[in-house]
Amino acid sequence: MLSLEKVDVYYKELQALWSISLVVNEGEIVALVGPNGAGKTTTLRIISGLHKPSSGEICFLGHRLNKELPNKIVEFGISQVPESGKIFTGMTVLENLELGAFVAKARKEKSQSLERVYGIFPLLAERQKQQAGTLSGGERQMLAIGRALMSSPKLLMLDEPSFGLAPILVEHMFEMIAKINQQGVTILLVEQNVQAALELAHRAYLLENGRIVTEGNGKELLSFESVRNSYLG
Amino acid sequence: MKTKQILLLFLIFAVVLALALLPLLTKKDDVINMLIVVLLYMTLASSWNVLGGYTGQTNLGHAAFFGAGSLVTRLLWSAGFPIIPGVLLGGGAAVVLALLLGIPAFRLKGVYFAIGTLALAQILNITIGNVLPDMSFNPGLANYLLAPRYYLFLGLAVVTILTSYLLVHSKWGLGMMAIREGEDAAESLGISGLKHKLLALLISAFFAGLAGGAFAYYHVSYYLNMPFGSEWTFDPMMMAYIGGTGTIVGPIIGSVFFVGIQQLLTQNLGAYHLIIFGILFVLIVLFLPGGLVEAWNKIQKIFSRRSAPKKSGIAFKREG
Amino acid sequence: MLQPLAQNLAYGIMVGALYGLVALGLSLVFGVTKFLNVAHGELLMVGGYVSFWAFSLLGLDPFLTIPITMVCLFFIGGLLYWLTFSHTIKLPEETKIKNTLLIAFGLSVILQNLAIQFWTADERGIPVDYAGKAVTVLGVRFPAVPLISLGVAVICLVALQLFLQKTYTGKAIRATVQNWEAASLMGIDIHKIYILSFAIGAALAGAAGTLVAANYSIFPVMGLDWTMKALIVMVLGGLGSIPGTLIGGIILGVTEGATSFFISNNYREVAGLVLFLLVLILRPQGLLGKKES
Repeated sequence: MLSLEKVDVYYKELQALWSISLVVNEGEIVALVGPNGAGKTTTLRIISGLHKPSSGEICFLGHRLNKELPNKIVEFGISQVPESGKIFTGMTVLENLELGAFVAKARKEKSQSLERVYGIFPLLAERQKQQAGTLSGGERQMLAIGRALMSSPKLLMLDEPSFGLAPILVEHMFEMIAKINQQGVTILLVEQNVQAALELAHRAYLLENGRIVTEGNGKELLSFESVRNSYLG
Repeated sequence: MKTKQILLLFLIFAVVLALALLPLLTKKDDVINMLIVVLLYMTLASSWNVLGGYTGQTNLGHAAFFGAGSLVTRLLWSAGFPIIPGVLLGGGAAVVLALLLGIPAFRLKGVYFAIGTLALAQILNITIGNVLPDMSFNPGLANYLLAPRYYLFLGLAVVTILTSYLLVHSKWGLGMMAIREGEDAAESLGISGLKHKLLALLISAFFAGLAGGAFAYYHVSYYLNMPFGSEWTFDPMMMAYIGGTGTIVGPIIGSVFFVGIQQLLTQNLGAYHLIIFGILFVLIVLFLPGGLVEAWNKIQKIFSRRSAPKKSGIAFKREG
Repeated sequence: MLQPLAQNLAYGIMVGALYGLVALGLSLVFGVTKFLNVAHGELLMVGGYVSFWAFSLLGLDPFLTIPITMVCLFFIGGLLYWLTFSHTIKLPEETKIKNTLLIAFGLSVILQNLAIQFWTADERGIPVDYAGKAVTVLGVRFPAVPLISLGVAVICLVALQLFLQKTYTGKAIRATVQNWEAASLMGIDIHKIYILSFAIGAALAGAAGTLVAANYSIFPVMGLDWTMKALIVMVLGGLGSIPGTLIGGIILGVTEGATSFFISNNYREVAGLVLFLLVLILRPQGLLGKKES
């Protein structure tokens, strides 16, 4: 569904990603794990079009994404929940969700999408009219994910959804993600919480210093000596 | 390299000498007047460039210093004070003003600094217009000679440009340019943002003030708040940009270009020269931020690339 | 003693509402694009001249020319944006902000001098026959033209507020103001939002220009003074707040009035500028704004 082939990314003169290649197949949950600063967020940013790669190919369902504008990429069916959610604090929960369905296609299906999202996150239905800025951390993440789902994406990308959340909320969060995947949405998950991510994912890539170091089945990687030592110690 | 530098110095010396001898060679007052305008703009543009070009702080209140210098000089001179000390005190007044305004103004960053300085200059413009509304007449009208005024402007332009040059090649200049590139990064290297900006401001203000003093000596009659008008900031600023900010030569080229176009077009098209200049300014900011200097460098590169294969076999091989 | 003061206050409020409208366009553009369009006053000036043309050629009442002015300025604004600012979008933040300031300033020079060419440097006004009429409440006179202007200003403010709150595009604009990256992840085309906001800002400047032409007079170099007024109101009222803009305008109007009443009419402008500087230095988020996160 999504493929990155030998992608290089620079920030001014600094190279951030070196010849990254990865694949996400339909229906999968793929995790991209690695330490801080490895380039995980950068990877999501270039897929979403917020930054441009200097070489390599990014393809999604037959479309070449390299030079596309971010809003076009959303139209193709990719939706990103950015780091810390980045919800619109000055607007209500409902307005945030409505904006998630901004794309013309999604706007027509707004009411259905809204119902779907409320089905996954009933809390959001309760807090419809509340100012998003008054929500707690966990609630904000839910809103961010709900908002991203409003465009009925084929691929949902999440950038560190567990960040700053209490452990019990993290568990809940990953349950939600699994549920969303079961409803037919392909997931690309970027996470620092390696344990939880690898337990959830079908496949995973390990990113270190801008390079893909290992890839494999989620459970396999968990048992890998190096992974255990570096990240689960 | 060395021969180039010597040739350049010789050329500069020759030009300055030619300019100095000009009043002796011609009796045409309009030529001298035009040159005075060019020299005045050169001084204003170069002085603006110190803070705006090299230090990267867009100062939209430069006219305040020009105005302050002209005000103090004119008032002193009208009261019988001799002119040269009067001009120097004009420069001094501008520096005092810069100190008073600079310290609060530098609390503002970027865009806010620009509009803050604009507001300050406007306040002075209006206040002086209210407090001293009468037209001021040149005290030296009875025996007005153009030549001394010409030499004053020439000397001022030379000194301003020379000071810019020396400043830029000093460690202070290096600090200023570092601040232009990124104040936070510079600060983390131990370069004091406030000290460098203040120094740039004071030098910039001093020469604008001196220019104001010379203006007071030169201009026959004007309203005392006229030199505080925003055009005395905006025109030199545009000249600096078109010529190339952050270079010594830029403001020089820019002012010559400005007056040149003005002369060319006044014959045919009246105020069109400002429209053309404005369009040019916008085009340069958009597509050629280094101004005419950058254009010149690019042209030079094209020519040197053409001649490279003959000179160096290495370049040739790389292309193959 | 009380009546002249009350009268002065009444004028301050009417003028203040006009100032609020003057600032509205600038505030919108700044909020969305983060650039400061210092040519705002010149757009206002062009609006005034378009009204003047419509008035002279078609004999329309100045207030009725407002829709024409707004449409003209909408397209002029969009065109100017497309020709110039659209090229700066890709630049890094600091350079972008500095360059757009310079470009706006270049545009102001161009527009000013074009105006001199088209309409000469003379002052123009739009006199109406009912200029002398007034509504008197409790001994305080509310002359027709300023009063209607207040009405127009309030209508524009309310209309913009409704647009931003109730329409999808309006919400997209608000989203862009808050976080443009997140907005683009929603499928919002940021380039379109920018040009639209700029065009709307220009249209609002045009409407303000008509009011200025009706209440005062217009001449080619008036731009800078009105840009300053817009800046002052913007800073007083806080960014991103439409009610704030109106209140900021009224604060300015009343301050100017008080200055001319208690000190002298010559220092009206100075009072505003001094207030501006104080607020900039001491409370940059404005008297009513929220601190930027």
